[in-house]
This record gives sequence, C-alpha cells and structure tokens, in this order.
Amino acid sequence: MRESRLMVIQYATALIAVVLVSFHLLMQGVLVSYSTAISYQQILSIYGNALYAGFLEVLLIVVLVHGFNGVRIILHELRQAVAWAKWVDVGTVAAIVLSVAYGTRTIVLAVFGVQS
Amino acid sequence: MTRDISLRVQRFDPSKDRKPADKEYRVPWRQGMTVLDALLYARDYQDHSIALRFSCRQASCGSCAMKVNGRARLACYTQVDELGSDSIVVRPMDNFEIVKDLVTDLGSFFEKHKQVTPHLVRADDSEQDNPTGEYVMKPEALEEILQFTYCIKCGICTSSCPTVATDAKFPGPQALAQAYRYLADERDEGGDLRVSALDDVHGVWRCHFAGTCSALCPKGVDPAMGIQLLRRHVLAGKGPRGPGEGAKEFARSGTGTGSEST
Repeated sequence: MRESRLMVIQYATALIAVVLVSFHLLMQGVLVSYSTAISYQQILSIYGNALYAGFLEVLLIVVLVHGFNGVRIILHELRQAVAWAKWVDVGTVAAIVLSVAYGTRTIVLAVFGVQS
Repeated sequence: MTRDISLRVQRFDPSKDRKPADKEYRVPWRQGMTVLDALLYARDYQDHSIALRFSCRQASCGSCAMKVNGRARLACYTQVDELGSDSIVVRPMDNFEIVKDLVTDLGSFFEKHKQVTPHLVRADDSEQDNPTGEYVMKPEALEEILQFTYCIKCGICTSSCPTVATDAKFPGPQALAQAYRYLADERDEGGDLRVSALDDVHGVWRCHFAGTCSALCPKGVDPAMGIQLLRRHVLAGKGPRGPGEGAKEFARSGTGTGSEST
C-alpha cells in the first residue's frame, strides 16, 4: 500500500479516536463516577448493551490500528535496512490482527456472559 | 576600540585523529567582521592547516555553512557582533560526514537533491530541441514557488533536521522543498515521476514539522511549508499537470508556433 494511504488511515484513525475516546470518557468518567466506572459489575454491565459493545469494538480497532501504525513509523525511522523494513511491516499487520482478535474475543465473551 | 575575540575551531582529520577537539585562536576584532573573516584571519596568520570551505563571501554560494555557537549559519553572513559574545565556537554542520575540520561531505545531500528530479520535465522534446517560443508563466503561479527558487543548497536545513539525523533515507527539507518547487511549477509535467519517488516509507511523510529548517534558512526559504504543500500533491498521487498537458497549453498560449504534438 502507498505510504500516503497509510498516512490517511493514520490521520483518520486519530480524528476518529479523539471522538470515540472522548465519548467513552464522558460515559465512563463524567456521567458515572470514576470509582463506579471501574467496578467489575459496572464493566460487565456495559457489555450487556450490544450497541455499546459494538462501540467498544470500533474503538478497539481504531486505537490499535492508529497505535501500531505509529509504532511502525517510529521503527522505520530507527533503522533503514531492507530486511528490517519488511519485518516491521509484517510485524505491524500481525500485531494489529492478533490484538484485534484478542480484544474482540474479550468483548464477545463479556457480551455473552462467559467468564474467561 | 580594539579587542581580541576567542575563536574556538573544531579540528578533526578522520585519517589521523580519533575524535574531534577544539583549538582556540585569538583574533583581533574589527568593525563589520564576519565569522568567515575571523576564520580566514586565523588561517592566514596563525594556522594554515584549518580546513574550511568558502567562496562568494556574500551569502550566494552556500559554501561556508557551519555551526556557529551551536547554530547552523553561513559564516560569511554572520557578523561577530550579532552573536553578542566575544567567545565564538565554530563546528562543522551536523548530519554530514566530516571531511576535515569544518568541511563536510555534501555528497549524500546532492544525491538526494538529484533524486527529486530538480528540473522541469516536459514531454515536448522536439520543442526543447528546436524552440519556437517561450514557456510562459503567470505571475501568481510564479509567486507560489518563488521563495523556493532562492535555495542556495548550503545544507543548513538538512543539517538541522531531526528526521535526517535518525533516518538516512529521508530526502531532507532541501530536496523535498525543491520537489515542491518543480512539482508546483505550471510548466512542469514531471509530477507523477516525483510523487512516486516521494510517496515512500522514508519519503515526504516522515517530516515531523519540527520547523528548524525554516527557522535557520539564511535565504528566508520555508522548506517546512513546502513539505506540507508537497503532501497535497502526493496525496492526490500526481502533479498539477500530466505528461503532455503543458505542451497543449503551450500550443494554446500562442507563445510558440503551436506545432508541437505529444
């Protein structure tokens, strides 16, 4: 993929993340007291709402794509060997896929009430 | 009033020395003295072995770029008095290999400059071989690129760029600003060529907009802005004109015979 496309994704995910994280903090840190928000029962109850669980899934993907793509950029600046560049790109995709899969698994288990 | 200034010059010969070391020279101050004047005095009267590069002495050639009191400048364009101190430390520019003392190897700098195709690219070869007229340019189009034509390739912007310091493949502010200068030129048709070269993992997107290039340019060029403007073209994936479009406009403009076809 062209670097410009990856950078558009980077900027877009940054803007989307600002909105999503702000909404998340509003819902879990402002409208509900912080001590309540981080209680086990409160967290589980969030997943009872399918819409909010879907929101968390989108937040998960957006933040992970933005974060790992950012790390990819830093690693490319760190070294410039061809082999390094290849492994950084492969590693970034693998890290995103694995992290999204693990996070999605957690959300799915919580939504369906399965204790992991 | 006569007084001496302390001129500490970094001395280093990679073929002999293990690491650089400063050597102090006492130079008599005079009105209007530049750092280059002070260096030449030290070289002519105290130590013939000081290596430095200079030529025009009027900020036109860019040869005498070096670090003066921690900041990259043109030695010929920096008066001793404007430094506000009688103690001057002169070192070679950062981000370049040292050839000797204050002389740096600008080979990679000019290689990167070459990589952005720093000249007009046109498809109408026969018009260039046998000109029938001029490639005219609107004043407002010239205004858009004018400041970038003032670049004297001194290397100060590249030496002060934090991205160049960490990423050896990054073209640097000078090359990127020149890419924009030609890409935005309405007579040019080589946009696609440059865009494909710059839309790379080490290309135009690696600028972090530190802005030191623009802050230090002795000619008032704003490479950081040029890079941001260049990104618009790179995002679009092309320059303002494709191959052959300039030739059609040339034919329509009536400045030539209009016989050129692409």
